[in-house]
Amino acid sequence: MPEISAFLAIVLFLMGTLAGTMGALLGLGGGVFLVPFLVLVIKLPMTHAVGISLMTVIATSSVVSAQRAGRQLINLRLGMLLEVATAAGGLAGGIVVWMMSPQFLQRLFGVVTALAAVMMLRRLDRRNVILDPAADPGLLGGRYHEDESGGTVAYRVRRLPLALGVSFVAGSVSSLLGLGGGILKVPALNAWCGVPMRAAAATSAFMIGVTATAGAVIYYGRGQVVPWMAASTVLGVLAGSRAGFAIGLRARAKWLKLALAIVLLLVCGLMFLRAR
Amino acid sequence: MTTAPDTSRLERTLGVVLRTGALASTVLLAAGLAVALGRPSAALGPVLIAAGLCILMATPAARVIASVIGYAAERDWTFFALTATVLVILLGSLLVALRG
Repeated sequence: MPEISAFLAIVLFLMGTLAGTMGALLGLGGGVFLVPFLVLVIKLPMTHAVGISLMTVIATSSVVSAQRAGRQLINLRLGMLLEVATAAGGLAGGIVVWMMSPQFLQRLFGVVTALAAVMMLRRLDRRNVILDPAADPGLLGGRYHEDESGGTVAYRVRRLPLALGVSFVAGSVSSLLGLGGGILKVPALNAWCGVPMRAAAATSAFMIGVTATAGAVIYYGRGQVVPWMAASTVLGVLAGSRAGFAIGLRARAKWLKLALAIVLLLVCGLMFLRAR
Repeated sequence: MTTAPDTSRLERTLGVVLRTGALASTVLLAAGLAVALGRPSAALGPVLIAAGLCILMATPAARVIASVIGYAAERDWTFFALTATVLVILLGSLLVALRG
């Protein structure tokens, strides 16, 4: 266990703040920025980085969802349904991760981020919204007020089995790589299942707390979470996600997608090239 | 099937659970970190941090329990079953963690 140091605590706090801001903006939970930082810059073992990251994912999910609750942006029913798959994936990932090499996990991290970036770029201009607010959203669809267009938007959920499959994979990825899994779910729900970007991000952010908990408990139980490092990073992420949430309400959807894709490609390149 | 007002009432309840858990864990983690940095030899710091991390992990679980209760109260058995399944999976994680 690394000895506690004020300098490193501050570095982790600041990195957490940055990751939290970006994470809340993009609905990702920040792990996609944190894990590469902890592995490549702080030189932590992959499992320690993932353990810390899962803690921050839980924190982001709780704070962001608490702030959004009641605004109808979270699709509660869809979230509860897909959560069965993400939690199962989280448990499965938390069991098998100990059989994998850090090199493999780092490369997998690169592959996952690249996939997500490509999916995001291909659908830059899609909106997937039924503009008639009276349209029937069905049992799992949703309806919310969008500030951008100044109206109520309604949507139906399509290809549910696909959404469940992606959610299971996203859950495993959460426990293997310390990502909330939003990196896969948000683009998939948006591109393939007809859920608008903002609702997909809010619903994903709502789910990742439970998903990450399924893995985090196992990492914690195995002593893979360095408590003071986790505390520092989590506090930073909490501060950052508050800031990100405030900015996020005003940022435009297309800008969000483009920013997400660029960041993902950068992260992918770094993790892939630096895997020893 | 649930009516919209009930759903948003459940959503608000879940919001309160999440907010409370996040606040409690933040306070514990901040206090624990401050003590641990100020007096590295004292046992209090690590204890507070451990409590903060445990509450952090317990918060989504508490949210799931609240959902199970909420859907039962609404007699929405489909979503009761779904959320109960999630709870069982989380208990499975705890079992794996405890067995090392």
